[in-house]
Amino acid sequence: MGSSILDIGKTALQAAQVGIAVTGHNIANAATPGYSRQEVIQSPALALNQGFGYVGQGTQIVTIQRIYSELLTRQVASSLSTVGELDTYTAQLSQINNLLANSSAGLAPAIQDFFDSVQSAAANPGDAAARQSLLSSAQALASRFQGLDHRLGEIESGVNAELNASVSLINTYANQIAQLNVAIEAASTASNRPPNDLLDQRDQLVADLSRLVKVDVVQQDDGKYNIFIGNGQSLVVGNHAYSMTTVRSATDPSRLEVGYINSTGDTITLSSNSLVGGVLGGLIQFREQSLDSIRGQLGLVAVTLGEAFNAQHMQGYDQNGSAGGVFFSIPAPAISEHSGNSGDAVLDVAIDNVAALTGSNYYLRYDGTNYTLTRTDNGAVQTLGSLPQIVDGVELDITTGSMQAGDSFLIRPTATAAGGLSLAISDIHQIALAELSSAGDADNGNALALAALQTAKTALNGSASFEDVYAQLVSRVGNKTNELKVMSAAENSTLDGMISAQQSVSGVNLDEEATNLLRYQQAYQAAGKVMQIASQLFDLLLTIGH
Amino acid sequence: MRISTNMIYQTGIARIGDLTAAQARLQEQITTGRKMLTPADDPVGATKALALRQAASVNAQYAENRQAAMYSLGVEEAALNGVTDLLLAVKSTIVSAGNASYSDTERGFLATDLRAALEQLLNLANTRDGTGNYIFSGYQSQAPAFVESAGGVSYQGDMNQQQLQVSASRRMNVADNGAGIFQAAGNDLFQTINDIASLLETPVIDATDADALIAGLSATMDSIDAGLDTVLTVRAAVGTRLNELEALETFGQELDAQYEQSLSAVEDLDYAQALSDISRQQIILEAAQKSFVMISGLSLFDYF
Repeated sequence: MGSSILDIGKTALQAAQVGIAVTGHNIANAATPGYSRQEVIQSPALALNQGFGYVGQGTQIVTIQRIYSELLTRQVASSLSTVGELDTYTAQLSQINNLLANSSAGLAPAIQDFFDSVQSAAANPGDAAARQSLLSSAQALASRFQGLDHRLGEIESGVNAELNASVSLINTYANQIAQLNVAIEAASTASNRPPNDLLDQRDQLVADLSRLVKVDVVQQDDGKYNIFIGNGQSLVVGNHAYSMTTVRSATDPSRLEVGYINSTGDTITLSSNSLVGGVLGGLIQFREQSLDSIRGQLGLVAVTLGEAFNAQHMQGYDQNGSAGGVFFSIPAPAISEHSGNSGDAVLDVAIDNVAALTGSNYYLRYDGTNYTLTRTDNGAVQTLGSLPQIVDGVELDITTGSMQAGDSFLIRPTATAAGGLSLAISDIHQIALAELSSAGDADNGNALALAALQTAKTALNGSASFEDVYAQLVSRVGNKTNELKVMSAAENSTLDGMISAQQSVSGVNLDEEATNLLRYQQAYQAAGKVMQIASQLFDLLLTIGH
Repeated sequence: MRISTNMIYQTGIARIGDLTAAQARLQEQITTGRKMLTPADDPVGATKALALRQAASVNAQYAENRQAAMYSLGVEEAALNGVTDLLLAVKSTIVSAGNASYSDTERGFLATDLRAALEQLLNLANTRDGTGNYIFSGYQSQAPAFVESAGGVSYQGDMNQQQLQVSASRRMNVADNGAGIFQAAGNDLFQTINDIASLLETPVIDATDADALIAGLSATMDSIDAGLDTVLTVRAAVGTRLNELEALETFGQELDAQYEQSLSAVEDLDYAQALSDISRQQIILEAAQKSFVMISGLSLFDYF
């Protein structure tokens, strides 16, 4: 009996030791990200039947359990996806917001300076200095357009770079999760107890991954995580991790899209509406919903200004008595053929009516019978029976060859205009300021008409001047950025609340651990006392023999 | 409800971070003097500000055009003033030429005066402005309006009038062509003066000559009077235009002031509000910092 009391004391001591160890582990990991606090689960040891009753044999440790709520953890991960997406979209769009913020470095002052110089030339058309000044401010205007477009191009390159970085990070996380799947299975089967720290690590990886892209997690019966992205593509299945990659877009080689390498080794390009959530979703949304249409609208300002000015310029006469030529060189609409096209059609796109241009990009597809034209900014679709056709101020025609079913082309009527706008005249005598071919030095008739273009409603079917179009662009960017900032703040707030809920279940509270330390210390002391008493009983027994 | 130690730190720092960010933003507003730092701060205001800036810039350009118009019209006014004085002087010469007691010699002297007056009239008709443009040549301001040749003085400008946009809705003529002033309705002033000078140089021998002289002098007076009428009419029109420019200038300046005011209302910071906001947020920030230190300092381990 005495020795069993010693054993009881020993089990109590061990349990107290483990308790202190676990408390110490909690304290040490109080600030570790993703750590769920652990607690010792004890149960009484099997009792012995002594005839007069069952005498307990002390305690045993059943397991060390992590305090963890799967629901809360999943909610946090899901919210991290939304926050990641909104924060990324906001950050990218804010770059453009800041670009347009400076009222003295923006496009509007350059347009105003240019027309000021036209007015000055109208006041003194024979003066070489006034003419030279007009050319200089025209050059400055073209440079300003180019500068803005260049910056937008830099932002697009930045998006490509971040896509690359995000995709490689996703692959890293996927590999790590797969490895942890293996390790957790091994650790679980070895002891039949949950490997708490490994489980925490895996959940933390899922949270990190969720910030990059929205994922669905399915737990297998053997405890492994299967991770799915997009429209159900598997990223991690059991021990195996698949890869994502970036591929050059089939219609625009300067643009990267996200691809997925499947089990047969083929790369599948993921469509942009299948990738939602996270940094990846935010980047793609930014690019498709904002960047493209902003670039198109900036180009629309350039095309409208350039074409209107050219048209009026060609009605006047220069100092040599010749009719005015082209003043601004405007790049033709950009056409990109999908690399998978099987037909040999050569598409020709020309601007037919500047006032009807929308600034949007278009996809032209052929299904075998009809052509469909899809606007990229609002998704509006038009069906065209045959070509040539004039749609939204743009004339579409096939010059040679024909399309096969499934062919598609990307048409960008205005997107390249701002970057390619340039001055076509370098000789001041070629500026057509006169209205008559006699072109006297005081003939400023055409100059007056050119100056009046600044406030004329030449764009958007006669409802806006090109400065109005620019103002609409600034307003759209401002509105969208504002909206995103508000949504982002709200979502961050929600995330804070969810993390708070999760932490209130799983988080370590140092005061609580301090209490536990005291408790286990006292338990240890009490257990020690039990053993001491047991030993004293034995000594007593021995002295009886003396 | 449990609060993990992490959350105490994180929420505390997050709130302090938010307050610090708000302070930084107010600081930027104060140093730039603007309440709208980017279009996102006030999208409607940003559009308004762009429109106001453009309107103000166009308005300023019209003001410059008005200056140019006033200058051109002023040069024309001065020239026409000279022409008026000259024609009046010619008239008095003609009157004295009618003096029956004058001999051929004296009439010869008068003829010399008239020839000098003709040269001066030609110079006035070919007035150039500060940049060297001939103001009476219509659009052909690079060449003199009138040239003298064996057959007389002929107009080589054209019939156009240069215009300037002096306000949003007003394009004003800022020049008049010489043919309409000096050779209007077939009344060629140069020819008239040339003829009468030649007539005065002709000796009066008989009664036919005397009759011719009287008729010539009378016809010349009529011509000069008609010419003077034309010049004064044009001068009146120039004067009217100058008056109109002054009125447009006043209106333009008022518009300018309005644009500035509107722009200021959209963009400028209300300093009183901003400074009071910044000191209020300062107090909140200090309170948050103090309370954070207090709460995070509480620990059971202090009592072990």
